[in-house]
Amino acid sequence: METYKINVNGVSRQVTVDPGTPLLWVLREELKMTGTKYGCGIGACGACTVHLSGVATRSCVVPISLVGNRAVVTIEAMATDPLGRTVQDEWVSLDVVQCGYCQSGQIMSAVALLKSIPKPTDTEIEESMGGNLCRCATYVRIREAIKSASQQLKR
Amino acid sequence: MMLGHVAPSGATRKSSTMRYCKIALLFALVALTGCTYNPPNMATTRADGLAAWQQVYSVLTHPRCINCHTATNYPQQGDDRHRHFANVVRGPEGKGVPALQCVTCHQDANADSTGLPGAHDWHLAPLSMKWQDLNDKVLSSAEICGAITDRSKNNNRDGAALLKHHTEEPLVLWAFQPGRRIDGSMRTLPPLTREEFVTATRKWVEAGTPCPQTR
Repeated sequence: METYKINVNGVSRQVTVDPGTPLLWVLREELKMTGTKYGCGIGACGACTVHLSGVATRSCVVPISLVGNRAVVTIEAMATDPLGRTVQDEWVSLDVVQCGYCQSGQIMSAVALLKSIPKPTDTEIEESMGGNLCRCATYVRIREAIKSASQQLKR
Repeated sequence: MMLGHVAPSGATRKSSTMRYCKIALLFALVALTGCTYNPPNMATTRADGLAAWQQVYSVLTHPRCINCHTATNYPQQGDDRHRHFANVVRGPEGKGVPALQCVTCHQDANADSTGLPGAHDWHLAPLSMKWQDLNDKVLSSAEICGAITDRSKNNNRDGAALLKHHTEEPLVLWAFQPGRRIDGSMRTLPPLTREEFVTATRKWVEAGTPCPQTR
């Protein structure tokens, strides 16, 4: 067991865990931040997506020992992030969500995409979002919500 | 007349003595200075260089290396070199796309607890450095040698720079310490050790980076 200080959503947090503990479980079980979901545990589905220093990251495959001093941002912070809030509003407006399980990861990936490419093409949306799986198949509405959010951006 | 034996004359005895003295003096100097006598540095022959290149080629075409030297829009993974899962794609700079970069999963070091390989700045080699064709067939020794020595394709690297790349590049070094899979088993290693690979590269470079002839 080792003690780690990590910055989560702008707040410094301290945890004592095994160095190999994936960030996902540190967030959910140590910090009780359950917005980030477990879907597969192997980085294949995207449900666990967070941002590490602004980079969309699969928290289920990143051990806490490799986080370092990079800022962790989770779905819980999106309501107070201007772009995150815009994306969430479009998700609601277009009634994207069905069961909702994958949507935290979908939104985190969508925000990362729009921060890098404010006006993405359909191809760019499909390439960036192609690693986020949705068993309810809300993909069409996800794409439309991203395009709608893109139109809201003042850039 | 007796054949085979001629009693040395006085002059011959004197020159032999001088020669032995010089040899003794040489050994004494070596012993005193602690230096090691190295034979002259013989130029590496083209044949030596080609043999060394074949050793280098055996490493470059191992899955730990060639999985990221693809001709396609995606990397490969595993010893069977299947298409990388999770729909990852090359992206404009070989680093993936905004929400699905290579570093979305691959960190600066191996994550043995989760089975993810990692090294600094994980990314694909550029298409100019593809070592397989669009059907994932590994290119020939001549073809890869030609590509790797073409300075218009290899980021303008001469022999010395290629040696430096093989010696210092983190992603090259990773191939020799590729970490564990999620089931705990070690990933298979290239056929040479890192030291053997660098030695072979050096010999190939010293020979002038010769390439096999295209058949």
